[in-house]
Amino acid sequence: MWEKLASIDRRVIYALMIFVLALALLRPIGLAIVPSAETKKVYDYIESLPPGSIVYLGFDFSAGGIPELMPAAKSVIRQGFKKDLRFVAVGMWEMAGDMADMAFNAVLKDFPNKKYGVDWVNIGWKPGGEVLLQKMLTSVNEAAVGVDFYQNKLDDLPLMSEFKTLKDAKMIITFVTGTPGEKEYIRHVTSPYKIPFAISCISVSVPEIMPLIQSGQILGGILGMKGAAEYEVLVGAPGSATAGMDAQSFSHALIILFIILGNIGYIRTRKK
Amino acid sequence: MKKEVPIVMGFILGISIIAGVFVTGVPWLTTWKNLLDEWFLVVQAWAVAVGVVNLTQIHSRRVSQKREGWFYSVWLMICMFGMIVFGVFIAKSPQNEGWRWMYNQLIAPMNATVYSTLVFYIGAAAYRAFRVRNLEATVLLVAAVILMLGRVPLGKVLLGGTWIEKTADWILNVPNSAGMRGIQLGATLGAIATALRILVGIERGHLGGTGE
Repeated sequence: MWEKLASIDRRVIYALMIFVLALALLRPIGLAIVPSAETKKVYDYIESLPPGSIVYLGFDFSAGGIPELMPAAKSVIRQGFKKDLRFVAVGMWEMAGDMADMAFNAVLKDFPNKKYGVDWVNIGWKPGGEVLLQKMLTSVNEAAVGVDFYQNKLDDLPLMSEFKTLKDAKMIITFVTGTPGEKEYIRHVTSPYKIPFAISCISVSVPEIMPLIQSGQILGGILGMKGAAEYEVLVGAPGSATAGMDAQSFSHALIILFIILGNIGYIRTRKK
Repeated sequence: MKKEVPIVMGFILGISIIAGVFVTGVPWLTTWKNLLDEWFLVVQAWAVAVGVVNLTQIHSRRVSQKREGWFYSVWLMICMFGMIVFGVFIAKSPQNEGWRWMYNQLIAPMNATVYSTLVFYIGAAAYRAFRVRNLEATVLLVAAVILMLGRVPLGKVLLGGTWIEKTADWILNVPNSAGMRGIQLGATLGAIATALRILVGIERGHLGGTGE
């Protein structure tokens, strides 16, 4: 019996994990979510920006990051539109344009008066990684080869007349799953030019991000699905991250249960 | 000459980029660096074409030699060339409905699915790896359990109070940050050393050789 406990078939773990995740997503119990200091810093900084400020959004992720990063992106856009901030979205990842399109279209239903080209622009993915960032420091138009994600000329979009270089951004927020990501911004843009920089990252990146927040290179972070859920609470629009926290809670509990069972089996068989 | 010319080119271009980033107030240097940045963008775009050629060579060989799983290589090439032909000759624009459908309904869900499966692997791996084998493994196990409970709302509900959350934050902010800083500093110093070795021609692996 103890041997069995120490070597449970992984398919049993998979099956129970699917069951727990599905149950928590279909029937959430709504566990209380309290915003952390890191999340609150991002929220407060955006709140402090004067109306009309241009915020740069870096959609530096692909579809794999949607569950954790998309709720954060939607919440930041929602908060910004409420405060009459304007957004320019660019990305170093190929799916950037699609991701930004998805986020803005989800929020625009509640803000029908916001106009493309005036209140927000989706430049989309442009190649080059950190060289793209360096080029945008001298000319966004040149770096983007003059067109946005929808093939509009940037010169025809009123917002772009006020956003000539990255230095015109009052704040930079990147939604990031890996490289290129936050380090490229820190190296070339936000630290050299003292542009306030916030991040939304996936949970597995949190340990790597913490030293950058402590050092002040990043002013605050929406960290993982937990951070996204906290941001939804702060903005007052609970969404998929809030619902997902129940699933994450119970999946963690299930893993801990298996760890305990595995260790009981291990200790009993070791003694033999 | 086959080795010397690329080394000299690498040295001149590498030093130009370093000087362009760190030296300010020299207009010709800035212009030169901006030009190199543009070249980089062009070279990077063409690297995709090199990648396509490379993938085709590797997978054609697998198919012709009927190696294990050769049919996956056939499928890869059908998908790769299918997207290229459709994109270049039929869609001709990223806004084409068919093109966007392929991207949003095929690539995006597949990408998300691959990432989502991690939860199952991580769950099974945690069950097998976190055992009280020795002191180090036990410390790792305790830290993992505290973080797993401290980073979700259920932790507070099960254990009461905020101590679990505070302990998880302490682990992230103190021992984790200290370790990560060490790793990042070490990796950066290593990257600088490797870059210098490439610039001065000591490291030649990228030229097709075997190093020194």
